[in-house]
Amino acid sequence: MELSPTNGWRGSLLHVDLTTGTARAETIPRDLLTHYLGGRGLGVRLLRETHTLDPYHPDMPLVFAVGPLCGTPAPTAARLAVVSRSPLTGTVYDCSAGGRFAHRLKSAGFDALRIVGRSPRQVAIAVTPVGAEIFPADSLWGKTVGETKRALSGKGSVAAIGPAGENGVLFACIMMGEGNAVGRGGLGAVMGSKNLKAVTVDGDLPVGIADRTRFDRARQDVMRLFRASPVIFGELGISEYGTPALVDLMRQRRMAPTENFRKTVFERSGNYSGPAIRKAYGGKKDGCHGCPIQCKRSAPDGTHLPEYETVSHFGALNGIDDLRSIVRSNTACNEQGLDTITAAATLSAWGEGRGRFPDAEEVPALLEDIARRRGEGELLALGSRRVAEAMGNPGLSMSVKSLELPAYDPRGAYGMALAYCTSNRGGCHLRAYPISHEILRKPVATDRFSFSGKARIIKIAEDTNAAIDSLVACKFSFFGATLEEYAELLSATTGEDYTPQSLKEIGERIFLTERFYNCANGFDAGDDRLPERFFREPGSGGEGIDVPPIDEKRFEEEIGKYYRIRGLTPRGTFTDPGYLSGLP
Amino acid sequence: MRDQIAKYAARLVADRSALPGRIAFAAHDDVLISNGNREMAKLCEGVLSSLSCLGLVAASQSFPIADFLVRRAPAGESRIVPRDTETRTFLHDIPFLRREELAGDPTRRIAKLLGNRKGMIAEGLGVVAAGTVTVEQAYINYSSVFHSTFVKYLLDVLTDGFLLRGEKEAFDRFRAGWLRPLSAEGLAFRSGPIGDPGEILAEIAAVGRHTVERGLVDSFFGNISYRLGDVVYISQTAASLDELPGRIDPVPADNSSTAGITASSELLAHRRIFEAGGARAILHGHPKFAVAMSMLCEEKDCPIKDCWKDCDKVRLLGGTPVVAGEIGAGGLARRVPPVIAKPGKALVYGHGVFTTGRTDFAEAFRAMVDVENWCRGEYFRRLAAKRPG
Repeated sequence: MELSPTNGWRGSLLHVDLTTGTARAETIPRDLLTHYLGGRGLGVRLLRETHTLDPYHPDMPLVFAVGPLCGTPAPTAARLAVVSRSPLTGTVYDCSAGGRFAHRLKSAGFDALRIVGRSPRQVAIAVTPVGAEIFPADSLWGKTVGETKRALSGKGSVAAIGPAGENGVLFACIMMGEGNAVGRGGLGAVMGSKNLKAVTVDGDLPVGIADRTRFDRARQDVMRLFRASPVIFGELGISEYGTPALVDLMRQRRMAPTENFRKTVFERSGNYSGPAIRKAYGGKKDGCHGCPIQCKRSAPDGTHLPEYETVSHFGALNGIDDLRSIVRSNTACNEQGLDTITAAATLSAWGEGRGRFPDAEEVPALLEDIARRRGEGELLALGSRRVAEAMGNPGLSMSVKSLELPAYDPRGAYGMALAYCTSNRGGCHLRAYPISHEILRKPVATDRFSFSGKARIIKIAEDTNAAIDSLVACKFSFFGATLEEYAELLSATTGEDYTPQSLKEIGERIFLTERFYNCANGFDAGDDRLPERFFREPGSGGEGIDVPPIDEKRFEEEIGKYYRIRGLTPRGTFTDPGYLSGLP
Repeated sequence: MRDQIAKYAARLVADRSALPGRIAFAAHDDVLISNGNREMAKLCEGVLSSLSCLGLVAASQSFPIADFLVRRAPAGESRIVPRDTETRTFLHDIPFLRREELAGDPTRRIAKLLGNRKGMIAEGLGVVAAGTVTVEQAYINYSSVFHSTFVKYLLDVLTDGFLLRGEKEAFDRFRAGWLRPLSAEGLAFRSGPIGDPGEILAEIAAVGRHTVERGLVDSFFGNISYRLGDVVYISQTAASLDELPGRIDPVPADNSSTAGITASSELLAHRRIFEAGGARAILHGHPKFAVAMSMLCEEKDCPIKDCWKDCDKVRLLGGTPVVAGEIGAGGLARRVPPVIAKPGKALVYGHGVFTTGRTDFAEAFRAMVDVENWCRGEYFRRLAAKRPG
């Protein structure tokens, strides 16, 4: 069956080899598109055969992949996944990001951009419908993300690294010119290792929709569910306050990580809550291309304002209540190309280790030191796990698989505790996103202080989110809509029939492929562990809410169930060493 | 999970949406478990093992509405499409399998339909519904299908009459035996104005329970609020009305805190109603006859097609204004407040009833009873006028 050149998928990827300085368009087999969709799934599939290479090996691909809904008016679908292997965690790594880059890449005519090799000199890549131009970027090396973006203006949308990526900071981001980050696992450092400063994309090729009437109906269904969702379009929701709308809720639920997770309530968090940010900065709405939610916020001067994770970790986690300092830290991370969660959590672990958390004035300078790898920054650039080990106290690192935990204390949500551990990319809240049901009551509420049923729930959610990350849609959509409506959008766009069940099966394939890659790199059940603190120390109970330590025995039982549900061995590994060969 | 199965099986009996003895649940953790009617439990296990879901329920409706809808559907149809808000927003449509399609082992055919929708109808068996996250979600989806099919059946009968042999007799038995008089008699309400937050929380929880126990609403459909000064106390989203303790958010009027992000999706409507003046208590539910009657419009040659969201007229049903509007951030919050202030009650097209109390919930509760009783009476009056005898 021939791919339609316009409906959903392009059927084409752009392969760039920086060692040879060459680029070519390649046809993507239809099987891969229908079975892996795009985004995270396609990127993970394209990593096969190279997944055991060192993250900095020249042959390790760095894949930018969009999804079949990108370029259509499907809500929140102008996103892409960037996939490679993380130098921070050693795991396979993907990160979903919005902005305008994804839309432009699709409009240039490609489902994916695969970059391999290492350029002998510092370069950038310009992608257009005619292919890729590799051009010198020596003059951009050392520049901040903002400076790089301005220097490349006129070439379309920009994805660039800052000094952090150039200097191999293990949690360096790739920053989209619009302020969106390909964050967490250090893919900016992978890009830097290839001597690649930036990628620009531009194009205007339209994306076709196989059945417009069906598509429009499904889109209306999605929008109706968005309007019915208090989390999305409610008066107190993320469309009004951005993700910092969660600050007050996490405080009320007594699960806001404070002082390196020693406490779970920060009494002064109201200083950087959603309403406080709006009062201080006005909170102009901003967001990804074509997104109706517009959850980003910016100040009148255009400064991007921080997300929930960032305000909470540069705030409570370091005992800082100064909003302007937090905004400065966020800006510093964006300009230097640093992941805010890991940066703040690493500073916090280091602060606990030295007996004093960094104060509001210290942080921006420390962040620049990290990006430039100078002074204390040389050590801090390695992330909290390596910092804690170097300080002789590994227990200081609040991470799983070396990825720092975000701003949901696992003692306040047991599904979250489990999901941090089973996540293929380490301590991430977004793989299963149990906050959705444990805290935000969507699609229904679950008991956050119970493990009952959580192993199965996490498994299903991981599969679901792997599919969502491959469409690629924003997870916030699913505070309202479900896979039912997105399966309709996908079917209408591509002309292929998908259902929620078939999407979850695709998600399972993607998730297990990632797990298999990780196992091939030596990961097993021993890596699916929470830091000891959560089993030994209580959180900050009060106001009728008890936050005890997690029952370790019960936790172990539930993770054992998870392995059985996944069909894994008790060690969390695969019984069939040829598992991948049975997959498309 | 067995406790969850027992709880929701009991609920299906208590709310009388399913026949005792014709209920089964399955749940899938690391092992597959089931309980209830043996044959149906076996089916549930088979279906659930093919789905990426945690819970499943199969139950025969207490009055076989779904079966009648299937049998009334034209040959070649494979789904029914109720037009109430619940269906439009969450279910989209309800697929079905006819009796002959269930021959042999129907497990895979049922699983295929549930792979795409939250609930389905198996003729002769009943409604099968899945819950991705919990057993409770399966129950909620069953309840949604029950509600939607109930409302559609009422409207279809009023429009087309009885089409099947024995249908009228069954309906009459249902009317005489299943429907119970609605009343607020015997209920004690706290007299308002209520000035203590603790008292408010307790009263909201009590009123929520009354609303379910008196059969005014199904447990998951509705929300309740009370205003004290600048704070609105409102039930949380996806909270069962008869399980509200611990599930009520205090929301300050100035939005100085966003902890109420978990409040009901109708927070905006409640706030606007309070702002319109005169009310301290608001009760919102989806009583079935009121929902059905709200969808009957006698306007001729009206150019509006999507009445449920685009109609800007205010109709009257027994003195209750009826307006259109989508839920949440849709038009409902704009259209209800102007019409509810004076009568203390309003109907939203295909959706449900809002009632208010000036000082406490007694007035709001009685108003909701009155609206549903009036709609019920009017429905049967119109039905009698349509058919002889």
